[in-house]
Amino acid sequence: MKKRVTLTFPKNRVPMPVTYRLAKDFNVASNIIRAQVAPNRTSKLVVELLGDIDEIEAAIEWMGLQNITVSLASREIVIDEDSCVDCGLCTGVCPTEALTLDPETFKLNFTRSRCVVCEQCIPTCPVQAISTNF
Amino acid sequence: MRTIAQINEKIQDQKAVVWTVEELKAQVAEKGVSQAAKEVDVVTTGTFEPMEASGAMINLGHTDPPINLRQCWLDSVPAYTGLGAVDLYLGATASPDYTSSGETTELETRFGVSHKERGGGNIIQNLIAGEPVQLKAIGQVSDCYPRASFQTTLTRETVNQFYLYNPRNLYQNFIVGVNAGDRVLHTYLGPLHPNLGNAVYSSPGAIAPLFNDPKLQLIGIGTRVFLGGGVGYIAAEGTQHFPKQRRLENQTPIGPAATLTLVGNAKEMSPRWVRGCYFKNYGPSLMLGVGIPLPMLNEEAVANCAVRDEDIVAPIVDFSIPRRVRPTFGLVNYAQLKSGTIKIEGETVRTAPLASIARSREVAQLLKEQILAGKFPLAEPIAPLPMDRAFLPQDRWGSQFALD
Repeated sequence: MKKRVTLTFPKNRVPMPVTYRLAKDFNVASNIIRAQVAPNRTSKLVVELLGDIDEIEAAIEWMGLQNITVSLASREIVIDEDSCVDCGLCTGVCPTEALTLDPETFKLNFTRSRCVVCEQCIPTCPVQAISTNF
Repeated sequence: MRTIAQINEKIQDQKAVVWTVEELKAQVAEKGVSQAAKEVDVVTTGTFEPMEASGAMINLGHTDPPINLRQCWLDSVPAYTGLGAVDLYLGATASPDYTSSGETTELETRFGVSHKERGGGNIIQNLIAGEPVQLKAIGQVSDCYPRASFQTTLTRETVNQFYLYNPRNLYQNFIVGVNAGDRVLHTYLGPLHPNLGNAVYSSPGAIAPLFNDPKLQLIGIGTRVFLGGGVGYIAAEGTQHFPKQRRLENQTPIGPAATLTLVGNAKEMSPRWVRGCYFKNYGPSLMLGVGIPLPMLNEEAVANCAVRDEDIVAPIVDFSIPRRVRPTFGLVNYAQLKSGTIKIEGETVRTAPLASIARSREVAQLLKEQILAGKFPLAEPIAPLPMDRAFLPQDRWGSQFALD
């Protein structure tokens, strides 16, 4: 199964090679979506965990014991369809092509599974129709 | 072949044959120009894009005692008052001006949007939507107008005239913006990412009104148009009207060319078609839906309307050099632009439109329905638009006449 989580590391946990341990000890692949990591700082990692359901659960439990906060709710892009005018300006700055224009109707499509929440679309939208949910 | 008067008779009888410009292109591809020209009376075109050279002329009505406006603000956005006593002009790109309106600390949000990210275009949209707007004014005191200041709340119902007076709308073609520099640029085309990170084109291409009448033979001063969901008229050539732009063999211009001044009663418009917008770190603007019905007077008119995205081009302009004449990477056609990527010097660059192509089509469709219902007769132009305007730069060291 796949599970997207946000990991918050206290500063003393930053030196630990967490994704390596997830792979080696739990056989869980972690696809890093977003990272904000710096030495001696509280750091954040948004990862997609891929593996057996029990092993993912065990990995999450283990991370909890390491003082890593695991949050299942992650930030998501929200598009206000009443405000959107389908201009498509956001599609040019979306690095993963989660935002595209339908080649026939030229209406905006948002493929949530491709979105890495880089948020570049938010300041691009001229009618302020894009935001995050928290 | 047919005249506007004959077409209007058919419109009145609800017998006119009206096609959207995309329907015309498809019909011509299928049955050829001559056959299409025999059938069709009117072709409707539309666009929905930011048109920042727009604004609203408002007459407030006189106060008692009377005031002669010297300075005024609508929701902290300054409007021009150097006209009649209670006439004001609110420009689409006017930005909030807190210091002079006495609201230095106020950064409240309205409709979830920070006041900082609003401007004249948003105020115009609010008024058209019937929403209240706060007016603050300082008077020029005289024996005629003794009042020194005035504050009230306005809506579109509490002012006399509320018209859009737009000195430059409907650019016939525009440019494609890119950024070959090394930092993000915040432009009127939205953010341009460095190292050719994206390319933005702002005309909806072959469906845009003036691409389908390249030499402005079917329209003129007095032509009735769809403006912001209501009715507008072509009042004059627009500012920066440059019909002498170089043209391809099909007579379409290779870059920014003709423009129009449009005027219309904003009280009859709809906020769906008059949308305030804001480009981060550039400023406010106004997105407008505009449609022109083109009378199919002869075969040439039909042939011109059949122009396709692959037949029209725009220049790729590098915004990283902030000069009047910016370097270009050559021309690209609109079929390539609409495909989502173009090649610039061997590199693939993602493209995005700024005009809403979906809404542009909707304007053409709405206009078609209004004409079919007999509610939108064509207006006979009373004078042609000039085709011989030069495009003068303003240079400190004397003017030069080089145009590119």
